[in-house]
Amino acid sequence: MLSQEKIISHRLLGLQHGIHQLVLRGAIAATAQPGQFVHLKVGATTEPLLRRPISIARIDRARGEITLFYRVAGRGTALLAGAKEGETLSVLGPVGKGFALPGEGELLLVAGGIGIFPLFSLLEAVDRSRVKVKVLWGAESREFFEGAGLAVLRELDVAYEVATLDGSLGQKGLVTDLLASNLRREGGGQGMLPSVMPGFGRGDSVLRVAACGPRGMLKAVTELCLRQAVPVEVCLEERMACGVGACLGCVCTVTTAAGPARRRVCTDGPVFDGREVVWDEG
Amino acid sequence: MKVDLTTNLGGLKLKNPVLTASGTFGFGEEYARFYDLSLLGGVTVKGITLQPRIGNPVPRIAETPSGMLNAVGLENPGLEAFLSTCLPRLERLNTAVIVNISGFSLEEYAQLAAALPEDSCIAAIEVNISCPNIKDGGMAFGTDPRSAGKVLAVTRKQTRLPLIAKLSPNVTDIGAIAKAVADNGADIISLINTLLGMRIDIKTGRPVLANTMGGLSGPAVLPVAVRMVYQVYKAVRLPIIGMGGISCWQDAVEFMLAGAAAVSVGTANFVNPLAPLEIIHGLEAYCREKGYHSVQELVGLAHCKEELTNDGKR
Repeated sequence: MLSQEKIISHRLLGLQHGIHQLVLRGAIAATAQPGQFVHLKVGATTEPLLRRPISIARIDRARGEITLFYRVAGRGTALLAGAKEGETLSVLGPVGKGFALPGEGELLLVAGGIGIFPLFSLLEAVDRSRVKVKVLWGAESREFFEGAGLAVLRELDVAYEVATLDGSLGQKGLVTDLLASNLRREGGGQGMLPSVMPGFGRGDSVLRVAACGPRGMLKAVTELCLRQAVPVEVCLEERMACGVGACLGCVCTVTTAAGPARRRVCTDGPVFDGREVVWDEG
Repeated sequence: MKVDLTTNLGGLKLKNPVLTASGTFGFGEEYARFYDLSLLGGVTVKGITLQPRIGNPVPRIAETPSGMLNAVGLENPGLEAFLSTCLPRLERLNTAVIVNISGFSLEEYAQLAAALPEDSCIAAIEVNISCPNIKDGGMAFGTDPRSAGKVLAVTRKQTRLPLIAKLSPNVTDIGAIAKAVADNGADIISLINTLLGMRIDIKTGRPVLANTMGGLSGPAVLPVAVRMVYQVYKAVRLPIIGMGGISCWQDAVEFMLAGAAAVSVGTANFVNPLAPLEIIHGLEAYCREKGYHSVQELVGLAHCKEELTNDGKR
């Protein structure tokens, strides 16, 4: 659970969006599952105090390496960005309940911005000879994609569509627009994906959606999926302290037979069934 | 030289003086994955209330310079589920368990104390009169000596288990509160609970926490906590469990010198899950180096000798 991981490589992908790629070697890779995260100590002092949760983007068991991507957003990630190759980091993890791994059918991965990174791990884990996979990814601009691992997606050789707010790459608009057109039914079949991929959505095979991104996006993705009776898993984010399920800092609300209940994003999640999540809280 | 780490706090016997602080340690299981909890002096579990509580909305956490705010709002499964589900699991941890209770009325404190079995792994009850994150009760009881005394008095009648009064630092005269709980049946005093604090997001112009305010913990509060332990040690003769920002053995030594007979590790668990164990080892090594046979020889050494010998009292 607590591991000293060695920094194998650490580089900035693009200045404008401050996204870094960090490869760590240690014990975590042996057991990490897609959708799980690590809780990193970013400095040696009490400032900043808390660890930083970062999702696991790639898992290489043979080399004992995990790859993380993070955007410099505050003091903690700025400090982390200064960590050098060859140094070690105190890493707690792997933490949490990750994505279900479908053994057949079709899988749509829906990402908003840096929400793509936990989906990379799912994309790599899925047996694509048996599961048809497609990625839908939305962000602000072409520059974002160039500095956010679009090359990784190309390297993984998967069908994908992108949307940008400014129309500089792919379709102009939101990733939920892409999802809506992909989910559009053709006839009465369940979860059809008619036009985009040849053979996608044909027959009785089950379509699933896995999504990660801003909360508003995840809510919209869930609503679109519910309308089509498509199962959807969402990867949530919340301010976190302990990362082990003890402090109850990072909860979300879910509906249960007994009424609304809290779940810990760190250990009960971060992946939840989108249908359970209470999206609008008072 | 073997250093005696055993600690006796007015009937609460511990194998060493290092505990975990309520609210930072769940019901123990989360950290049992990191080490054998029987190595600890004991664990203080998440505060329980009579009825289940869903707690506050998120965000519940805000980071601060060398510290953090929390406003969890006493989310817990309630007394009944605690007794049926949590307590049997705690029995298996093979460590002294301190159960923290919070009421919204005197009656609720009494009911909670009465319901906790005296013949279980429960070694003591910590009476929380200091939670800053709930609207009624909680801290309201702990900021007035009279009501603090009343809570202890009604709780005392219901149990023979050692009673720990957990005090709030959000008061002007901590000594007066300490005297009130000491006069009304407390066996031990623990302090400090969190300091009331607040942060505002300058992008949105709104408070960061959904609850607006929350409790400050972590290294930032340490000097306030040391000062209050020092004051309570002067004010009353009850044993003290000191806490507030302890993250290494040096901090623990400082609290003991101020007058704490035991210490609790809280927020440090979030950063370093092994902190309590490292503190136990560090305390032992410090005593050995200084030539103390018992860790209890440290307690209160920071107070000058005249005060201590005056009238045989502190």
